[in-house]
Order: sequence, then C-alpha cells, then structure tokens
Amino acid sequence: MPRYFFHLRYGASLEKLAVDPEGDELADHEAARLHALQSIRDLMAGPPSFAVRDWLACSFEVEDEAAERVLTVPFSDVVSEDDNADEPG
Amino acid sequence: MAYVQQSTVRNRLLKAMRAEDFARLQPHLESVELLVQQMLILPNARTEHLYFVESGLGSITTESANNRVEVGIIGREGVIGASHVLLGSDRAPYDHFVQMPGTALRIRADIVIAAVEESPTLRKLLLRYVLTEIIQTRQTAFVNATLEIEARLARWLLMCHDRVDGDELLLKHEFLSMMLGVRRSGVTLAMQQLEGAGRIRARRGRITVLNRDLLEEIADGGYGTPEAEYARLIEGA
Repeated sequence: MPRYFFHLRYGASLEKLAVDPEGDELADHEAARLHALQSIRDLMAGPPSFAVRDWLACSFEVEDEAAERVLTVPFSDVVSEDDNADEPG
Repeated sequence: MAYVQQSTVRNRLLKAMRAEDFARLQPHLESVELLVQQMLILPNARTEHLYFVESGLGSITTESANNRVEVGIIGREGVIGASHVLLGSDRAPYDHFVQMPGTALRIRADIVIAAVEESPTLRKLLLRYVLTEIIQTRQTAFVNATLEIEARLARWLLMCHDRVDGDELLLKHEFLSMMLGVRRSGVTLAMQQLEGAGRIRARRGRITVLNRDLLEEIADGGYGTPEAEYARLIEGA
C-alpha cells in the first residue's frame, strides 16, 4: 500500500507547516482523504494548541512518497460535510 | 547465584528501603530483561510477579474500540503491578507493558504480600509509593482537562527524561500520539513548537532534551507536583 504524509498547514508563512515525518499506509487517495477528515475531527475535538488559534483555518497538505502533493484537505471540509448531512433528502 | 546488592540497585524505591526490608526481598529478586512491547501484566488476569524497574519504561494503558491511551508510566522510581497487589487485588483492568527496553528486578507477588504483612516499615514505604502513583494519575486528569497539546507533550517528555539516562529519547510521533491521546498530527505540531523555542531537538524519531527549565515552563504546572511528592514521601526530601 502507498504511504501518505499528512503535513499540517496552520498559517500562511512558510514555516507554519508541521511536516509529518512518519506517514500512514493507506489504500488510495480516497482512503487518504477519509483519514485526513478523521484526523481533523479528532484534532478539533481534542485539546487546543498554542500554535493554532482557529482549527478551521488549517488544512492538511497530503503528499505521496515522492513528495508530490496529491490532496489538500481544508479543516472546514468537515463542517460543510456535517451541514450537508443535516439537510433533508 | 549471588544476590543483588542494595548498594548497586538503581530502582529508587529499593534504594530508599531500610536495609532490613531490602534483606527480606533480596533472596527473591530476580534480574530480568524488559523487551520492547513485552506484556508484563495482562488485564484482568492474576498478577504473578511485580517488577522493580531498574532501567527502561513501563506503561499502563487502557484500550477502547479504536484506540489505546496511556494512563500511567512507571520507570526506575517504581514497581509495576504494585498498586493493585498492595491494595488487595490480584488483578487490574489495564495492560502493563514495556515501552522502552531495560531491566527489572522481578519478585513474586505473594512474597511481597507476605513481606508487607511482617514489616510495617516496608508496608508504609510501598503504600506511600502507591500514593505517588495515585498522585500521578490525578495530575494526568488535571493535565488532560486543562492543558494544551504542547504542555502535555512537554510534561510527558520531562517524565520520560526523568526515567532514562542521558538526554536522548527514542520516540516516534505515532507512539507519542497514543501516550498523549492526541492525533499524530497534533504531536507533530506541538513538537515543532517545542523545537522552535529551543527546548528540544527532534530528528528522525530521536528527541534530544536541550533545556529542561524551558520545558517545565511550557508544561504550565503540569509537571513537578507528583515529582516533588515522590521525593518527599519516598526519599524524605
């Protein structure tokens, strides 16, 4: 299985990126996206960080083993998903 | 086989013990290796042995459907299995396993129980030790209810640093994620904050503690109280 690295972008400036040194083995891009969404929910439900004033302004920059960006998952995606879930039909 | 001598043990409880009490346990102490991930005490199973840790780190964890979280750590200041056995239970609902390899002096639980029945001074020392475990657990409850990821990480690194030799800690973010009950990305984020402030250096799973005072500062009251209580209760500080 390919390994995906979930770098956490928490500000616009270059150094505001927490580079994931370990990564996770996941089946494909879609599995990586779901993994990112679960991480986002857990981070937002968990303790705060000194470095992050607003989780919703953060995003995951997901790279493959070749350090190519394959996905960007904004934290705000979990909110819009939940909103959609509330809509009837 | 030669018995282990009190003058050469590294376990802080064995060191602090009265010579007569050490002598009671001495013939029964057996030096064993602690291997990474080795399960020392299974949940809800009869506890046969206690482990006076000489080096390395043991972890008490609890498991839920999709994750495992650490609820206690024991290194050379303590005895793995002591709390439930000394308080009258032959089992505990937690995993007790080895997080960092090392050595321990293993002793049969029934021998310790008999020894504390014979010696009030030994009973007092070991029950005081159990109290220090309770204090650590209460501190963890406080920390988990109030502090930021960075403060939790700083506290955990200090506790770990107290229990190893040297300034280097071999710790993966995945492992710290379980220890702190925080997603791995949260650990990576917090590590970067501690590193940026010159408190630690982190390279490929190798964390070097550079400045303990600064770590204590960021731990924001999360570290220190249990450690001071241990010194007072066990070592008469």
